[in-house]
Amino acid sequence: MKRLLILFTSLFLLLPLHASALGIPKLQGYVNDYANMISGSSRATLEEELKSFEQSDSTQLVILTLPSLEGETVEEYSIKVVEAWKLGQARKDNGILFLVSKDDRKMRIEVGRGLEGRLTDLMAGRIIDLVVKPRFKRGDFDGGFTAGVASLIDATRGEFKAEGENSRKGTQPFPSSWLFLFVILILFFFFLSSLRKRGKTSNWADQSGRSHGGSPGGFVIFPSGRGGEGGTFGGGGGTFGGGGASGSW
Amino acid sequence: MGKKLLIILCALVTLSFSGCGYNTMQTNEEAVKAAWGDVEATYQRRNDLIPNLVEVVKGYASHEKETLTAVTEARAKVGTIQMSKDMLDDPQALAKFQSAQGEMTSALSKLMVVVEKYPDLKANQNFQDLQHQLEGTENRINVARTRYNKAVEVFNSSIRTFPNSLTNSLLLHLKLKEPFKAEAGAEKAPKVKF
Repeated sequence: MKRLLILFTSLFLLLPLHASALGIPKLQGYVNDYANMISGSSRATLEEELKSFEQSDSTQLVILTLPSLEGETVEEYSIKVVEAWKLGQARKDNGILFLVSKDDRKMRIEVGRGLEGRLTDLMAGRIIDLVVKPRFKRGDFDGGFTAGVASLIDATRGEFKAEGENSRKGTQPFPSSWLFLFVILILFFFFLSSLRKRGKTSNWADQSGRSHGGSPGGFVIFPSGRGGEGGTFGGGGGTFGGGGASGSW
Repeated sequence: MGKKLLIILCALVTLSFSGCGYNTMQTNEEAVKAAWGDVEATYQRRNDLIPNLVEVVKGYASHEKETLTAVTEARAKVGTIQMSKDMLDDPQALAKFQSAQGEMTSALSKLMVVVEKYPDLKANQNFQDLQHQLEGTENRINVARTRYNKAVEVFNSSIRTFPNSLTNSLLLHLKLKEPFKAEAGAEKAPKVKF
């Protein structure tokens, strides 16, 4: 018993060591201001602007501010965040993360693969150097975010177009591997029933004969859409390849 | 009756392929190859940037010949190595590729340190642009390498665990892939502070 107690205490002692690495914050909306850098009114304006930008262009631009990176480099952290959040639409890969760490005085614009042509590393770097950095240096965070977001939107507008209501939240295309399995299954049952028919085991043959003659409703077990989408904000499955630029102020 | 049995057997064998990891291993190998493609592309991207960078630096810091030559030579050396997907099964070729790219990384970081002495160069718009591109590329290399290593990890464990290991030794004969090893001081992007 004593040994068990010691074991458990030592396990608990180990826990904080693992928890010290900076976790991925929750994606709450377009503006995730965990460092309280943005005022209420600017925040509302930005949310509005980014929402209408996603509705028109399907490009998903998200702001994240943190009090501190706790020793991680801004590049490594931001790729972890976008891998978890999956900003941008699947296949279009049109997500952008604007990450700012307040106490480290560091920022990064992480650009999705689909936007790398428009918003090159160079362009992102210039936006940081010429638009955001001077305002941040003056302590004008609201102005920096507003102007930075405006430049990012200008740089990427028109690269993608939203495809109606269902572009993001639509059902996933029918997976071909499922289709393949389905066909095999049907063939298999068909084969079984024909075997049975020839063998004249009437009862069984009747049942399986009916099942493949009628609609295959009993087999349809595929999920009809993605769950948990009831109005909550989320990434659309975009991928990132490490494009973008970092800076400090 | 024998014919029927044969058909059933065939169907069972086909179905059991999904259970023995045949497809999984193939998919994982393709994932490794795709990740390798990204690694190659990002390194190539860096290689393409270097002539411009050298040209701009030369204009301001022409007497840093040694550093500049080191970069140019490293680039030439990287150019002689034929990059291909076959390299993945050959640890030696991969090690050669890695060491050449590592030399390039260290030559570049030395150049970036030297540049600190030239305020005019640092203020040059061309140079600043190149610097953003270079930093971006180094970051992409990091990301691509990390993802490649993850893909290799998945692939390697998939061919080593049972029953996949059995299928592999009987049918596929896939070899373990080599992950990138961290090079001392080479895995970080050259940092230049203003």
